[in-house]
Amino acid sequence: MATKKKRTPDVQNDSWVVIAADSAIDTKKDDSDPAFVRLRNPTTDAASLYMLSSGDVQLFEVKAFEEDFHSWFVGQNVQRDGRLLFVTPMDPLYLILPYYIKSGKEEKFQPVDQVVMDEEFPACSRLLSCTRSLASLHHIAEEKEVGKLKFHRYSQEKTMNWLKKKVERTVSALKARNISVGEGVKSTTYVRVKSESDCHEEDYLRYAHGLISEYLSEDLSKALLKHLQLPELTSPKETEPPSKKRKLSDKQVEAGEDYTKFNSADFARKPPKKMTAAQKSLSKVDKTGMKTMSSFFSPKVKAEKK
Amino acid sequence: MDLSPYETDNSVSCRLASQIPDVCRTEDCCLGIDEAGRGPVLGPMVYGICFCPVSKKPQLKASKVADSKTLTEAERENLFQTLDKAKSYIGWAVQILSPNTISTSMLQRTKYNLNALSHDTAIGLVQYALDSGVQLTEVFVDTVGPAEKYQEKLSKLFPGIEVTVRPKADSLFPVVSAASICAKVARDRVVKGWNFPEDLEEVDADYGSGYPSDPKTKAWLLKYLDPVFGYPQFVRFSWSTAQTLMDSKGVTVHWDDDDEDGEKAAQRQNNRSMLAYFSASAGGNNQNATHQTHRFFTERRLKSLDTL
Repeated sequence: MATKKKRTPDVQNDSWVVIAADSAIDTKKDDSDPAFVRLRNPTTDAASLYMLSSGDVQLFEVKAFEEDFHSWFVGQNVQRDGRLLFVTPMDPLYLILPYYIKSGKEEKFQPVDQVVMDEEFPACSRLLSCTRSLASLHHIAEEKEVGKLKFHRYSQEKTMNWLKKKVERTVSALKARNISVGEGVKSTTYVRVKSESDCHEEDYLRYAHGLISEYLSEDLSKALLKHLQLPELTSPKETEPPSKKRKLSDKQVEAGEDYTKFNSADFARKPPKKMTAAQKSLSKVDKTGMKTMSSFFSPKVKAEKK
Repeated sequence: MDLSPYETDNSVSCRLASQIPDVCRTEDCCLGIDEAGRGPVLGPMVYGICFCPVSKKPQLKASKVADSKTLTEAERENLFQTLDKAKSYIGWAVQILSPNTISTSMLQRTKYNLNALSHDTAIGLVQYALDSGVQLTEVFVDTVGPAEKYQEKLSKLFPGIEVTVRPKADSLFPVVSAASICAKVARDRVVKGWNFPEDLEEVDADYGSGYPSDPKTKAWLLKYLDPVFGYPQFVRFSWSTAQTLMDSKGVTVHWDDDDEDGEKAAQRQNNRSMLAYFSASAGGNNQNATHQTHRFFTERRLKSLDTL
């Protein structure tokens, strides 16, 4: 009954529905407005959208809730795009870290502005104005002070310890929010009488590691897994059962049926009908209890009057 | 007939009824069911019942009630007054199914078609009469769909009552004619004085008969088509007349239960080909090529953006 509807291409719109912390849009401290910035995503190495607010003091990440078949009614307008953007605070160190790892190969103490440089994303230097950036550099790098100048060198060991703390804090946040970390699917609206006893510490750790890995490169994520002493999950391939193969036996094969009766003279031999590939495969299927296709087209006993 | 209970909110279904005559509680009664406004794209569908003691059938016949379709509007109004005045032995009730109720029933996720809606409304009215203490022994119904099936359904639901379902029952049995007059009068009055809850300023009331074939109705539908919202609640959205116009003139709206098929739809819904499950390598390769977002985000439908 429904007619085929054609989807018109998405039109760029100039408004969005955003949920943001008050601090993100607070313009009192500085006269600069918060701005969306494209920066290098540490996981994908490609561009992602972030937000810097009140004179680059705070960094926020931007996530979009996106599902099919959603639209907004905004005031007296309809917005086709049913996305909901979330602007949430983020630790700038995650974005600075990849630059340090890169320069770490040189094994030199360097001033910060020489490390955090990116031709593709020049805005990355603005990360250094964030309140927490310089103060927390010692989590991922060794520090040296020469005169009034500070120099840093990437330290994997320090970084792992820092990330481990992040994981531990995430675990406690997961527990506080009662987030399901186990294998099964649970409904948040379903009230359980029995308390959760099947949630193991390892499930929480692994889940938190996965979440933190959303902000790390793949190599770092693997290193962190080792540091947390979590075994790597076996790939699903290995858990699969071996493919079935017919067992061969040395015994002689005997005929289950006597075909010689067809050889008698009175047996009228019909030429075998040719079957298409589809018919052949269908003939192998168990069709007991199924209606034939043609039965659906036979006239009904009485057609219903509309 | 006091329509005010319906007019306060004409988006829902509403029952209006006369007082139950005392004789109907003590004597064996017959009851007729008929409907008005099944076909129009505009306005409500109204179901009517009329009942009286079996012994009063001759009086009912003498009042010259006839199939409402053969009467002019004025004649129907007069006959309704006659029926309403005979409140000592005649009772009636109407169920007004608003166009909005019809639209939402027929277009909801699990489709509820007009026949089912009609049957359930008729059953509801018979049940109302029984609950009010009317001593029903005979019920006459103008059919919707195949008469035999309908009769069987009603007989099963109301054991002990003799149910007669006939096509054209409204011209065969006076009690059904009376019911059809009640229904038709209610529909006419509601349509004439329709209260548009929408903010449409001065509405052009010249919408003709309301039947899809009426050119006046068609012109009205064209005039009042809003590209985003479609129509006022006065229009039955489930009618193909309305749907065709909305499809061609309105903005396209997609619902998640729209019938879509073909590979494109499957791709959009992220369905995998059945074959993909049987090839061992396909799954493994994909995982390494692109970063897989953690399930915390995928379960919540959250994505990173690279542009706005």
